[in-house]
Amino acid sequence: MELSESVQRGLQALADPSAFDQSSYRALVDASFRSLRSSQADPGVLDQPELKQIDQILLKQSHTAATTFILEAVKQNADKSTMSSCLEELSFSADKVELFNSTHQKHRKELERLLASIGRCPPQINDASWRLQYHVKNGQVDKVNEPFYLLSLNTENKGSSEDINFTCTVEQLQDLVGKLKDAAKSVEKASQM
Amino acid sequence: MLLVLSDDHKEHLSFLPKVDAAVVGEFGRIALEFLRRGSSPKIYEGAARKLCVPVEMVQHGVEGLMYLMTESSKHMISEVDFLDSVLVLGFGEELNQILLQLYLQHHSQIRSILSQLPSNLPAYHNLEWRLDVQLASRPVRQQVIPMLTMRLLLTGGCGSRDDLSRRVLQTDPSTLLHLITTLEAALAAIKTNHARRIFRNIK
Repeated sequence: MELSESVQRGLQALADPSAFDQSSYRALVDASFRSLRSSQADPGVLDQPELKQIDQILLKQSHTAATTFILEAVKQNADKSTMSSCLEELSFSADKVELFNSTHQKHRKELERLLASIGRCPPQINDASWRLQYHVKNGQVDKVNEPFYLLSLNTENKGSSEDINFTCTVEQLQDLVGKLKDAAKSVEKASQM
Repeated sequence: MLLVLSDDHKEHLSFLPKVDAAVVGEFGRIALEFLRRGSSPKIYEGAARKLCVPVEMVQHGVEGLMYLMTESSKHMISEVDFLDSVLVLGFGEELNQILLQLYLQHHSQIRSILSQLPSNLPAYHNLEWRLDVQLASRPVRQQVIPMLTMRLLLTGGCGSRDDLSRRVLQTDPSTLLHLITTLEAALAAIKTNHARRIFRNIK
């Protein structure tokens, strides 16, 4: 993993036993993971009794470095040995490496999910609702007498939802379902490869 | 059922017996053409010049025919009812037959034109799909996320009738299966006794 100079400096401070003893180290590592997982930035995340006696500038530098390191590890899907050797190079003690790794394992899945949700994508279909109607007549034509469907696809994009409404005849709905089934079949085939 | 023709309508059509049967046939052709593609005043002027009559007379004649055809097609009246309806116009037998033929030959096409008018909801046209697997993104470098990307093509809606609107959408495999089950239930609903009974009884 490549880390910038300021991140390396922040991590080295975190490794330094005279700056961070065991309890303040644990508090900072916990706070780092917690601040990444909460959707809203909590200004009081470093407001803890264990961290009171540490120089505030150093504390913030170390916190930034730790969160950057965590995100980079998740992004690169770094395994335990990669992370360990990286931390050891920055003169972390074996205890500190072990604590970091175990905390990382605990939060890893959640952070992966969180990172995967970042980015653009087309609206996602979440659900569909339908109504079967019988078109009897209208202002222009009498005796139409044709069944048709009103479909509504519920889509979601960046947290806001939108319904896509359209009509289709019975044949068109059969066509649509047929195409979705073809797609499902090829998903199934692809998953068996 | 019989058509009830208004006095204005009768008056507009009263021009027809004054011209040759061939001209009435031509008017019928023009009326249908206008129903398909929209009217054009130039044709009225040309016809009026040839027949040496005022433009309004031709226009009323053709529009009267258009109205007669759309009204009878709208209600899909029977052959007998059509002849009985035009009886009040006092036309000769030959002219009535020309009108009847015009109606019989074209009523289904006129109905399909008319049926396009009220649909202001977008309608399904096609669905294109492809299977994607997301392998990496800026925040995460190793991923395997299967995704179905679709393009839904819809016709109509508020805009122009011929325009297709395209929507690009995605869904994951489990939602895809859910969609299929939901829409299959919709297809099954049309085969229920309840639906069939309604279809049978509304005629």
